[in-house]
Amino acid sequence: MSFEPKILGIACNWCTYTGADLAGTTRLQYPQNTRVVRVMCSSRINPSFIFRAFQLGADGVLVGGCHPGDCHYNTGNLYARRRLAVTKKILEFSGMEPGRFRVEWISASEGNKFAEVVREFTEQIRNLGPQTKFKIEK
Amino acid sequence: MATSFKQIEENLKNEARKLLEEGKVSLVLAYGRGYDEDHPVPFVARVVADVENIVFNEYCTANMARYLVRYPRGTKMAIAVKPADSRAVVQLIQEDKIKREDVILLGIPVIGMKNSKTGEVIDSKTTCGMYNPVLYDVLLGEEIHGQTVVSPYDVLAEYEAMDKDARFAFWKKEFDKCIRCYACRKACPMCYCDPCFIDQNKPKWGDKSPQSHGNLMYHLTRFHHLAGRCIDCGECSRACPVDIPLYLFHKKVAKECEEMFGQAAGKSIQDKPVLVNFRVDDSDKILE
Repeated sequence: MSFEPKILGIACNWCTYTGADLAGTTRLQYPQNTRVVRVMCSSRINPSFIFRAFQLGADGVLVGGCHPGDCHYNTGNLYARRRLAVTKKILEFSGMEPGRFRVEWISASEGNKFAEVVREFTEQIRNLGPQTKFKIEK
Repeated sequence: MATSFKQIEENLKNEARKLLEEGKVSLVLAYGRGYDEDHPVPFVARVVADVENIVFNEYCTANMARYLVRYPRGTKMAIAVKPADSRAVVQLIQEDKIKREDVILLGIPVIGMKNSKTGEVIDSKTTCGMYNPVLYDVLLGEEIHGQTVVSPYDVLAEYEAMDKDARFAFWKKEFDKCIRCYACRKACPMCYCDPCFIDQNKPKWGDKSPQSHGNLMYHLTRFHHLAGRCIDCGECSRACPVDIPLYLFHKKVAKECEEMFGQAAGKSIQDKPVLVNFRVDDSDKILE
């Protein structure tokens, strides 16, 4: 059986999630490997969510937030940007493939971009293969 | 010329006695005698008679800033600080855990401290490699100048050059040794959360038994929580009973934070910790 990536998408309520909604209502085709979890803001994301997702078997984690400056809470994604940059460096230094974690700014009107990013990211994870480093062995 | 350890001990005792006699502080955080000369222990002098038990020698590596947050807010305290410890105090002031006016810093310029476990001299390989405190009220010895300045991040080159799989194997081997005694957490001046995320049951972030996945979760999250706050005293690695080189990861995160945000931890009390701060013009490149 071919490898189907399991991807966790964490999307901010105001931009990326609405963007994903738009992608759906405009009937854009994109791979169904991403399970989207909605959070109120990208700064709601505790870095441990990402480590935990990898431990529980996610092959990739995609975080979506509003464009910097467009945050519904004014400054949330500016904090998130710094925090997630550190998360990325930590994953990288611990030996995880850096391509498995990605942050994208997708606004509510960018349904196309959402579909494009998901398509691209799924392809990237498919090439990287299953994630085994962090995964808890049963 | 660096002041001798004996002289510093004498100055420390005099200063502590003076402060306690005048009633300026209710306690002095310093070092006391352990079971032998080579193993001094953290010591709290509360009355003038305690001052006689204060020692200072090359094995006094513990970071006393750890104990500042244990006392009620507003307690007047004096603390003996080595260079890295003074950065920890600055960082605690930045985070508003203590107030500048509540603490009197007895600065100690040091060179040639030794690890009591291995007897090795501690330098920029495992710590920040500084010689003079960044903040002090009283200096207990002469400032040390003229030493060659080595970047504390030089030691990382070997690990950064590693292949990612080899690096993962390296860290897995190290983290698998962890017995979850939490000595690193106890020794760290910046680890003051109560309860620690790993002690929480709802949500349960990681397994509490010493198994690889729980260890990985604990250590990675701890590195993240100390991002931009770790002052590189290296005390976590010295406290570790199984010798995990935690300082390497802390150095790496500190280095990245310094490169990305242009600010090292604990250098000035006017700064804000990098992760509770932002600039509108932070580049998106940091996420790549």
